[in-house]
Amino acid sequence: MLPPLTPRRVADDVFEIAVSTPAEAQRLAHALRQQGFAEDVVAGLDSVSIRFDPIALATVTTGLQTVQVPAGDSLQAGNIVEIGIEYGGEAGADLEQICAHTGLSIADFIALHTKAIHTVEMIGFTPGFSYISGLPEGFEVPRLSHPRPLVPAGAVGISVAFTGIYALPGPGGWPLIGRTSEILFDPAKDEPFLLKPGQRVRFRAA
Amino acid sequence: MLHIIQPGLQTTLQGTPRVGFRHLGVPYAGPADPVSMALANRLVGNTPFETAIEITFGGFWVEVEIPCSIAITGAHAEITRAGQSLPAHQTLHMSAGNRLEIAPAKQGMRIYLAVTGGFAAQALFGSTATYLPAGFGGLEGRALKPGDTVVFAGKGLSEQTLQTPLDLRPVFTNSFALRACDSAETHLLTPDAYEALFNTVFTAGQQGTRMGVSLEGAALSLNSDGLMKSAAVYPGTIQCPPSGVPVALLCDAQTTGGYPRIAHIARCDRHLLGQIRPGDRVRLLHRSHEAAVEDLAAKDKVLRSWLDGFTL
Repeated sequence: MLPPLTPRRVADDVFEIAVSTPAEAQRLAHALRQQGFAEDVVAGLDSVSIRFDPIALATVTTGLQTVQVPAGDSLQAGNIVEIGIEYGGEAGADLEQICAHTGLSIADFIALHTKAIHTVEMIGFTPGFSYISGLPEGFEVPRLSHPRPLVPAGAVGISVAFTGIYALPGPGGWPLIGRTSEILFDPAKDEPFLLKPGQRVRFRAA
Repeated sequence: MLHIIQPGLQTTLQGTPRVGFRHLGVPYAGPADPVSMALANRLVGNTPFETAIEITFGGFWVEVEIPCSIAITGAHAEITRAGQSLPAHQTLHMSAGNRLEIAPAKQGMRIYLAVTGGFAAQALFGSTATYLPAGFGGLEGRALKPGDTVVFAGKGLSEQTLQTPLDLRPVFTNSFALRACDSAETHLLTPDAYEALFNTVFTAGQQGTRMGVSLEGAALSLNSDGLMKSAAVYPGTIQCPPSGVPVALLCDAQTTGGYPRIAHIARCDRHLLGQIRPGDRVRLLHRSHEAAVEDLAAKDKVLRSWLDGFTL
């Protein structure tokens, strides 16, 4: 039997549970959402957050005592979606610096990024923003010390070892490598999101 | 119907926050100051989150096209009809052709205008609240502009004339004291930075958006490598990027972020974030998580004495 989860209070109305992998976070978050005692259950990359009505704290703590991370494989992988990226240039203003940081040439970076099959691990930040894994271990790029006040929709960034695609224009703290013309979030569509957790992605130099 | 002559800096239709969709990256949106919006709705006989107009800073001018009952609350601003002063916090019965003007606010940041039965607006993810960054909700997902007509969802007229009880009318100054609790990465602050967080009189940054208010005045040092894995944030989360200038997130807060979460505004005081103007003074008062819940229960009780079923 697995040890019980240890929720940590991170606000008067938020608990957070540490997990090991993004896939585990997605599975646990799904299980908690089914229980219905939370206002919101949000999977992070190595955590699950539960926001609740603190007046009903007792219900929440009881609920959390009985929940475990459901067993399962990695996330379901659908068809591979290909996403074209225009690397570098004004839209990818941080590409050179990322290459300097990681010791790669720009051509090597693009080869590395377009060769791998990546996986969408999480949707978050704003509607449709996708956290996509697939960069090698140890490929760690810190966030910008000063977030940009405005990043355009379609901007592609790298943070830690994830590729992120900004679905909407807005402020952004990820160093940018380029831009895609794909639309990740379209509120007018029945299915507004292009990507979902578990989706496999291949990048193509456009 | 109201014909918008001048909407002011940023005027949107707001409704119920979109609770339950953050795992899709969909923020809450809704009123930046839910208490003021609920008070306006109460005066015209609506439920607390009926679709109402949120006016940033004032400078708002409309012509009333059909008779209606409205109410105005929130930031303190002069309200006039044909040059005659009108009160906030009272049901106002308007006639067709009336021109209503709300001057720039003297204190506070956001003004709410409610009409009996609410305003007609587009709903997505279960709410009419405008979320500007993605362009949905409200009127075409955008801020109102001159020449727009906002339509009433109901009959628009109330028979009652109500006033908000005096002791429930929020008073805004240029100083805010907000209760705040420790959060997930509070431990990354150096001891001096932790002390500074709760002992600095911060100045609110110039941006004044619905996403966040930056708190300037102390450069907070963090023991962080900038490689934190993205995790959930909410309205009320105080993030601290490596620049050391913390940002308190508001109603349009993104759903996840990767900057250390150094504190969290207590739920009981989050509604005040929506009334902080650029340049206002902000202090954080430390509370334990348990004490913050007691404060919340106390404030909810007071508000519910007038606002049926309302919770913060």
